[in-house]
Amino acid sequence: MTIAVAGEELELLPERAVYWAKRGTLFLADTHWGKAATLRANAIPVPAGGTADDLARLTRAVETTNCRRIVLLGDALHARAGRVQRTFEALADWRARHPTLEFLLVRGNHDKRAGDPPRELRIRCTDAPVIEKPFVFQHQARETELGYALAGHLHPAVKIHGRGRQSATLLCFWFTNRVATLPAFSSFCGRFVISPEASDRVFAIAEDEVLPV
Amino acid sequence: MPDPINAWFASRGWKPFRFQREVWDAYGRGESGLIHASTGTGKTYAAWMGPLREKTEACPPLRVLWITPLRALVADTEQALRAPLRDLNIPWRMESRTGDTKASIRAKQEKRLPTALVTTPESLALLLARADARENFSHLHLIVVDEWHELMGSKRGVLTELELARLRRWNPGMRTWGLSATLGNLATAAATLLGPNAAPPRIVRGHVPKTVRIDSLVPEHMDRFPWAGHLGVKMLPQVIEAIEEGATTLVFTNTRSQCEIWYQAILEARPDWAGVLAIHHGSLERKQRDWVEDGLRAGSLRCVVCTSSLDLGVDFSPVDRVIQIGSPKGVARLLQRAGRSGHRPGVPSRITCAPTHAFELVEVAAARDAFQAGAIESRLPVERPLDLLAQHAVTVALGGGFRSEELLAEVRDTYAYRDLTDIEWQWVLDFITRGGGALRAYPEYQRVDVIDGVYQMSNKKLARRHLLSIGTIVADASMDVRYITGGRIGSVEENFISRLHPGDHFFFAGKSLEFVRVQNMVAQVRKGHGEPGAIPRWDGGRISLSSELAEAVRERLEQARRGVFQGKEMRSVRPVLETQAEISAIPRRDQFLIERVRTREGHHLFLYPFEGRLVHEGLAALFAWRISRLRPITFSIAMNDYGIELLAPDETPIQEALAAGLLSPANLVEDIPASLNAAEMARRQFREIARIAGLTFNGYPGQNKSVKQLQASAGLLFDVFMRYDSGNLLIEQAHREVLERQLERSRLGQTLERLSRSEIELKDIQRPSPLSFPILVDRTRHRVSSEKLADRIRRMTA
Repeated sequence: MTIAVAGEELELLPERAVYWAKRGTLFLADTHWGKAATLRANAIPVPAGGTADDLARLTRAVETTNCRRIVLLGDALHARAGRVQRTFEALADWRARHPTLEFLLVRGNHDKRAGDPPRELRIRCTDAPVIEKPFVFQHQARETELGYALAGHLHPAVKIHGRGRQSATLLCFWFTNRVATLPAFSSFCGRFVISPEASDRVFAIAEDEVLPV
Repeated sequence: MPDPINAWFASRGWKPFRFQREVWDAYGRGESGLIHASTGTGKTYAAWMGPLREKTEACPPLRVLWITPLRALVADTEQALRAPLRDLNIPWRMESRTGDTKASIRAKQEKRLPTALVTTPESLALLLARADARENFSHLHLIVVDEWHELMGSKRGVLTELELARLRRWNPGMRTWGLSATLGNLATAAATLLGPNAAPPRIVRGHVPKTVRIDSLVPEHMDRFPWAGHLGVKMLPQVIEAIEEGATTLVFTNTRSQCEIWYQAILEARPDWAGVLAIHHGSLERKQRDWVEDGLRAGSLRCVVCTSSLDLGVDFSPVDRVIQIGSPKGVARLLQRAGRSGHRPGVPSRITCAPTHAFELVEVAAARDAFQAGAIESRLPVERPLDLLAQHAVTVALGGGFRSEELLAEVRDTYAYRDLTDIEWQWVLDFITRGGGALRAYPEYQRVDVIDGVYQMSNKKLARRHLLSIGTIVADASMDVRYITGGRIGSVEENFISRLHPGDHFFFAGKSLEFVRVQNMVAQVRKGHGEPGAIPRWDGGRISLSSELAEAVRERLEQARRGVFQGKEMRSVRPVLETQAEISAIPRRDQFLIERVRTREGHHLFLYPFEGRLVHEGLAALFAWRISRLRPITFSIAMNDYGIELLAPDETPIQEALAAGLLSPANLVEDIPASLNAAEMARRQFREIARIAGLTFNGYPGQNKSVKQLQASAGLLFDVFMRYDSGNLLIEQAHREVLERQLERSRLGQTLERLSRSEIELKDIQRPSPLSFPILVDRTRHRVSSEKLADRIRRMTA
C-alpha cells in the first residue's frame, strides 16, 4: 500500500517496513536483536529461531523493494547480555548475502546500553536526528521542528472494533501530522495499543496485507 | 492414671469428643490420617494433643510442623496451640514463620528452629531451600496440614505434597494429619495428602453435626427486580433489616467489586454505623484486615462486608448472622460460609441469601435441595504440573543439592507425580540445567549446575531470584495504592489505574479516593470529597456454578415447566419464569433449548446446557469451531452459568450444524485443541506456568526498572515456544491444564452425551428472553473465526 506523507510517496509493507522509493530506502524500527539470548543469559530458557525468521522477513522486504539502503530507526540490539556469538553469526551471514546494501542505524535508547552492532556488519551508527528533507530519522516518536519525523520505539498496535461485538488488535503504522511511528520489526517484543486522533492515519498489518483502518 | 489432657479439657469446662480421642490414640499408634468436619468443631485440638502426651526433654528440636494456607490464620493458630502448652507447663518453644515474621525471630530461627512451628507452604519451601534444611527437619514427629480442602485442588497443594514427600524421607516415623472440611471425595483427599505409598489412611469424621439453616430474602416486587447483573443493590433495605436483627453479621460477597459496592451502599443507608461497619477483602492492606479480624473476635463490629477472604479458619465466635449476597454457586461454599456463624460446637449455623438478580432465587432453592441430598462438591487434585516440579527441583538444588535418582524416587512418592515418566523427569532436569530439551545447547544459559552427579545452584544472583519467586500464587498485574503521604491502602489492577486521569475519584477500601499520579509503579491518591466514582474491577475468575448445583437447578426448572413452584424463592421468581415460557420456553430435563434472535448487533444464538460457566466456556469454543467449519464465519462468544451466546454478523446455519453432529461427543480430543479458543486459553494459562517455572519474574523489591530488559510477557514467550519449541513440556502442560482443569474435559464429554440424547427445542424469539438477557449484556467476549484475517478486518472496517 502506497500513501503520501509530507509530499513524498511511502510504501507500507506487511513485512513491518516502509519503503521510500525515491531514495531507494527501506525503513525499519526496533529489531531488538539478541533479546532471546539476553533472556537465556538470565536463566530464562527461550528457544532460538526468532532471529532467523526476522532476518528472512527482512530479506523478503529487501527483495520485493530492491532497495539500496536500510535505515534502522533505533534499538538494533536488545541488551549487552544478548551480544552472543550465535546472534552475531546469523547477522553476519545475512550481511554477507547483501553486501552492497548501505545500512544506517539511528541509535535508540536500547543501543546506548547494548552498544553498537559489531563493526564487521558494516552498519553505520549515528545519533538522532538525521535530516533528509522532508524527513527526520529518529528513534523517539515525538514531534520535531526539523521536519516530519520517522520513528519507532512505541511498538504501536491498533484495536479495531466491528459489528457483532468483534474486535482485533493488530500491529500498525501510525501517521500523525508530524510523526510516523513504525511497528516494531522484531517478532519477539511487546506492543502498545495506541489511541489515535481523528486526524491521524493508521494502517494495520493483517498477515500478508496492509489495510487502512 | 489421670490423663493430663483430659484434665486440661475439664479445666476449661470441656469434655473431649470421641473423634478427638480417636485421633490421639491413632497418633499414639503411629497412624496418619484426615479429620473432616465443618470449622469450629474441635479439629485443631484433635490433631495437637497427640504429641503433647509424649514424653519429651525440655525443649527438643523441631518436632511438630503445622502448615496453614493463610497467613491470616497463623496468629490465631499459634494462640490456640499455645494455650495447652502454657497450662500444662510444657516448656516448648512455639513460633510461627511467614513473610511477616520479625527479623529478630528470624535470626533466632536461623540458629535453631522451635519445637513447634506454624507456617505456610511457601515459607516452608524457603526453609527447605536452606543448605542446612535436612539437619533442621530430621526430628519431626508430626505434620498437621490445616484446611487441606483449600490446598488440595491447587498447585499450592502440590507444593505441599512435594514438601511432605521430602520430610517423610528424612523422618520415616513421622505422622501426617490433615484437617479438612467435608468433601465429596475424602478418600482422594487423604491419598493426596499422604502419598500413593502410604498405609490406608484413617479418615475421621468430626462427629458434631451442626444444623444448618438456609433461607433467603426475596424481593417484594418481582416486576422491578433485575434479570441480570450481580452488582445491583436492590435488596439493600432487606439486607439492612437482617443486619439489624443480629449482633454481629458477616455479609459475604462473591467478588471484591461487589464487596466495595455493598459496603458503600450500607454505609450510605446507615451512616450511624460508621466505625462498626467494616470491609475485608484480599486486596486491602494487611493492617486494615488485621484490624477488622481483631474487631470481629472482640465483638466490637456490627457488620463486616467481605469476600472469600473470610471463608477460612479464624474463629469469630461473636458472629451470629451470615448473609450471602448473590448465589453461593456451590454447596460446599454455602456450608463453609454458614459455618462462620455460631462458630461453636452445638450452636446452629444460619445463612441468609440475598439475590442480586431473579435467577439467583432458583439457585438458592437448588442449593438447599443439593445440601439436603448431601451433594457436596469434590476437589480434584492437580496432576503432574511440571512447572512446579522445576521450581521444586531448583529449591532442592539450593537446599543441599540432590542426585537425580534420589529426588525422582522422592517425587514419585507424591500423589501428583506418582506416574511421572522418566522422560518427563529428564526434561525437567534439562530445563533447569540447559534451558530446554536435550538437543538444545545455549552456552549463555545457566541456572542449576551438575557437579559429580549432584545438582546444585552456585550463582548467588539466580539463587536470590529463585527465593523471591518461590510459590504458586500469581499476582495480577497489580499496583500499590498509597496516600501521597505514604500510607499503603492496598492494591488494584494496573489496567484500572491506567484508565484514570489525575483528579478522578474512585472508591476503594471503603473510601472515596482522588487519583493524583503514578510514580515508581505506585498509584498515589489523596482522600476524596465523597464524590461518586468508579469502583475497581479485579480480573479474578468468576465463580462457576458447581455441577451438583447445576443439576439441582435443572431439576427446579423441570418442576417450573410443570407448573410446580415450591418454596418462597420459587414462588417469588415465578413471574420471570412465566415470562420465559411466554417469550420462549422453559426446557424440560430431556430437552436442549436453543433460542435465535436478531438485533442491531447481528444474529444471536443462545444455547442452554445449564452446566455452569466453566463447562460452557469449553462448549462455546467447541460449538463455534464446529459451526465455523461449515463456512467462513466469525463468532463473538459470551456465556454464563446457564447458557452460551454465539453472535455473528450473519445468520448461523444451526440446523445444518446440528445435522452435521454439533452435539456429538465423538472426536472431542481432536476438536477441542483445534478450536482457536482453546489455543487462546492455553496462552492465558501459560501466564501462571511461566511464573511458577521461573520464566517470568516479578522483579526485586524496590528495583522495578532495572529488570525491565529481562522481561518478556508470558504471552510472548508462549508464542515463541509454540513456534520454535512446540515439544516443550510446559506448553503441553498449558494445553493439558486448559483441557482438564478449565474445560473439565470429562464433564464436557458427559454434558455432550446428555445433550446429544436431548430433544432440541429451537425457538425463534422476537425479543431477548429472561434467560438470554444476562448473557446478551455481558461484555466479556471471546472470538472464534474461520475467516481470513484480512477479510475479517476489511468487513469490520467497512
